[in-house]
Amino acid sequence: MKESVASRTVFILLLFLTTSLLNGQSPPGKPEILKCRSPEKETFTCWWKPGDDGGLPTNYTLTYHKEGETLTHECPDYITGGPNSCYFNKKHTSIWTMYIITINATNQMGSSSSDPRYVDVTYIVEPDPPVNLTLELKQPEDKKPYLWIKWYPPTLVDVRSGWLTLQYEIRLKPKKATEWETHFAGQQTQFKILSLYPGQKYLVQVRCKPDHGFWSEWSPESSIQIPNDVTMKDTIVWIFVAVLSAVICLIMVVAVALKGHSMVTCILPPVPGPKIKGFDTHLLEKGKSEELLSALGCQDFPPTSDCEDLLVEFLEVDDSEDQQLMPAHPKEHPGQERKPTPLDPDSDSGRGSCDSPSLLSKKCEEAQADPSAFNTPKSVEKPENPQTNVTYAWGSGSTSSEGKIPYFAASGFKSSTWPLPQPPSQHSPRSSYHSIADVCQLNMGTAGASAALLDKTDTRALRFSKTTETGGEEKAAEQREVESFHSKTDQDTPWLLPQEKTPLISVRPLDYVEIHKVNKDGALSLLPKQKENSGQAEKPSTPEATKEYAKVSRVMDNNILVLVQEPRAQNLASLEEPAKEAPPSHQQNQAEEDLASFTSAPSGCGLQRAGLDYLDPTCFMHSFQ
Amino acid sequence: MDNKGWSLKGSLLLLLLLVSDLLLCQSVASLPICPSGAVNCQVSLRDLFDRAVILSHYIHNLSSEMFNEFDKRYAQGRGFITKAINSCHTSSLSTPEDKEQAQQIHHEDLLNLILRVLRSWNDPLYHLVTEVRGMQEAPEAILSRAIEIEEQNRRLLEGMEKIVGQVHPGIRENEVYSVWSGLPSLQMADEDTRLFAFYNLLHCLRRDSHKIDNYLKLLKCRIVYDSNC
Repeated sequence: MKESVASRTVFILLLFLTTSLLNGQSPPGKPEILKCRSPEKETFTCWWKPGDDGGLPTNYTLTYHKEGETLTHECPDYITGGPNSCYFNKKHTSIWTMYIITINATNQMGSSSSDPRYVDVTYIVEPDPPVNLTLELKQPEDKKPYLWIKWYPPTLVDVRSGWLTLQYEIRLKPKKATEWETHFAGQQTQFKILSLYPGQKYLVQVRCKPDHGFWSEWSPESSIQIPNDVTMKDTIVWIFVAVLSAVICLIMVVAVALKGHSMVTCILPPVPGPKIKGFDTHLLEKGKSEELLSALGCQDFPPTSDCEDLLVEFLEVDDSEDQQLMPAHPKEHPGQERKPTPLDPDSDSGRGSCDSPSLLSKKCEEAQADPSAFNTPKSVEKPENPQTNVTYAWGSGSTSSEGKIPYFAASGFKSSTWPLPQPPSQHSPRSSYHSIADVCQLNMGTAGASAALLDKTDTRALRFSKTTETGGEEKAAEQREVESFHSKTDQDTPWLLPQEKTPLISVRPLDYVEIHKVNKDGALSLLPKQKENSGQAEKPSTPEATKEYAKVSRVMDNNILVLVQEPRAQNLASLEEPAKEAPPSHQQNQAEEDLASFTSAPSGCGLQRAGLDYLDPTCFMHSFQ
Repeated sequence: MDNKGWSLKGSLLLLLLLVSDLLLCQSVASLPICPSGAVNCQVSLRDLFDRAVILSHYIHNLSSEMFNEFDKRYAQGRGFITKAINSCHTSSLSTPEDKEQAQQIHHEDLLNLILRVLRSWNDPLYHLVTEVRGMQEAPEAILSRAIEIEEQNRRLLEGMEKIVGQVHPGIRENEVYSVWSGLPSLQMADEDTRLFAFYNLLHCLRRDSHKIDNYLKLLKCRIVYDSNC
């Protein structure tokens, strides 16, 4: 019996449990107190989290007892704080007192209690956020605008009596920014923000903290729009400035495009090349010899008569041994041995013959330049090379030691010692040269060779040099060349003669003569060339003396002029070669007379690039006598 | 003739005296700072309260930090909080428990109360420093703060006595304070007991320093700013 009762009880119990399990009902789970907070240190609220309710309606109660008391109380207010909360009003709140709070959950099946929570209101103070956040943009005159932020403490907190002391913090950011800019404001209820980005919309928030409590939540955002600091007037001004500068740039670009070259020329003028005053080089190129020569004062040019017979001889006066005298190449000697390379004129020693390279070069075409050079030697001289006393008459001083001997490019079998207007092998457009050569020939033919005499001191000697090489040691080479040359030619090379006579000649130092002017008779007025050494100090323009020129006393060998000094001022004498086939003229020195030897300087036809302008008097042929 | 002359002179002298008295009074009243030891010092009450509030605020911060440090390091899982109920030696002093009670007390009484509490802590603070120093692996954070609190507490006491002397001079009550008898507990051999003694002491210190701070701020707003802080 007893056993059956016992077993029956057990069975019922099991049945009950099973049914309850099957139904899903159970006593409530253990609740948990989440947090307790006091907004002003005068009241506080506690919230709990209910546990599992066990499928049955569960009743929750909060019970507490205070420190030093034994009485247990129940929560006075379950509603004010919301669901699952308990609100302790001022009457039920004691500061500096420990509360021991417990939550009880009860349902049909059973009940459960939470763990007790020890709460001291002193340390759970968390106020509400500040209220009435106002933003004001203040713009004082002459100062940057600033943001003036004002707020009020939360309504519940008693700050006036000093029960709570609050400290504030604000934060702000432009609307589009991601980071907040935080500022601690202390106990004041206002704040100024000075660094603002114009044209932005700012968001501002504020929060507070009691002297020994927790920070409140951030207040709701307040926004304000910062106006742009660029006024309409400023914008217009800037637009105007931009348009103006754009227009100016455009104008400048157009101007540069159109006149760029001339502007550059204006700013950076090209280095002037050597030129003769009153002389137009372009005319030379174009071959308008008439205008050119008229500018130079030449007349009757180009001569129309047969120039072929004209022989013009150049006298070259050299007062130092290292002066190079350009030989007048015999025309019958084509420049086979020596290539009449269209050399730089520097290779010409300046005493060119018509075969001298410069003559042969293109510049020889500028034969019209010769007259002008004769005409105004001084003026030419000065700009050219005041230092080196240049004789313009002939390829002056290129004392270059390039051993070019283009002179020997003889063009033809002309008997004239003149450098012919280039040999056919030479370069082509030499119309001017031709004309000059013709003139030379003409003059030479018609007139006897009148030698220009260089009157100098006795120290002067005349010598004929034909090479461009400088230095006395070269002379031997020259002589050899001359000889060799001569051997090849059938003609008499008049310049051999001076070779023979060189001992005679070389006694005297050579000197150059300058052509002072040429009168219309074709007479050359020569000036003694200033000595390089001594003449430097003196103005090259002032000749020591205007010497008289000799007449041609006689002609030797059909191609040598003998000059005699004539004691008369301003007498022009021109040199002419009696025979144009003759080799480049040279004058024979006579012992009793000062002779000037003029070598035809082929380069004298034109302007030498070396800066030594000289003209080939051969090119400059006037009928005289 | 003589009488008139004498009366004239007398009145002139009297006038002179009055004027000089007034001048003297004004000059005395403008003394700003007190040299130490001066008896009739006239530091303004506002300055006194400001300094006192600063000190009390500082002391409470130190106490709070010290308690948290100790709790974190030594008291975890020991359930000390359950035992630290109604165990402060100053609980016999009837202090107001909320704002209404505090606002109802007359400021003189409140001042005296503050003084009593401050005096009650002189002895415990001294022993606290000694005992923390003697602890094994004396935690520097706790020790330094204990030393600072002890010094500042002494200073606050002096300031409070000055305030009391200004607010209601002439009345000097008997020095009443609560006696602390927790020293043997601090020196217990049992670690648990000893640690709880420390915990309890620090817990009470934190609470009482908060009380003093709160009362002083109330008094300041009431007396100096006329309840309009």
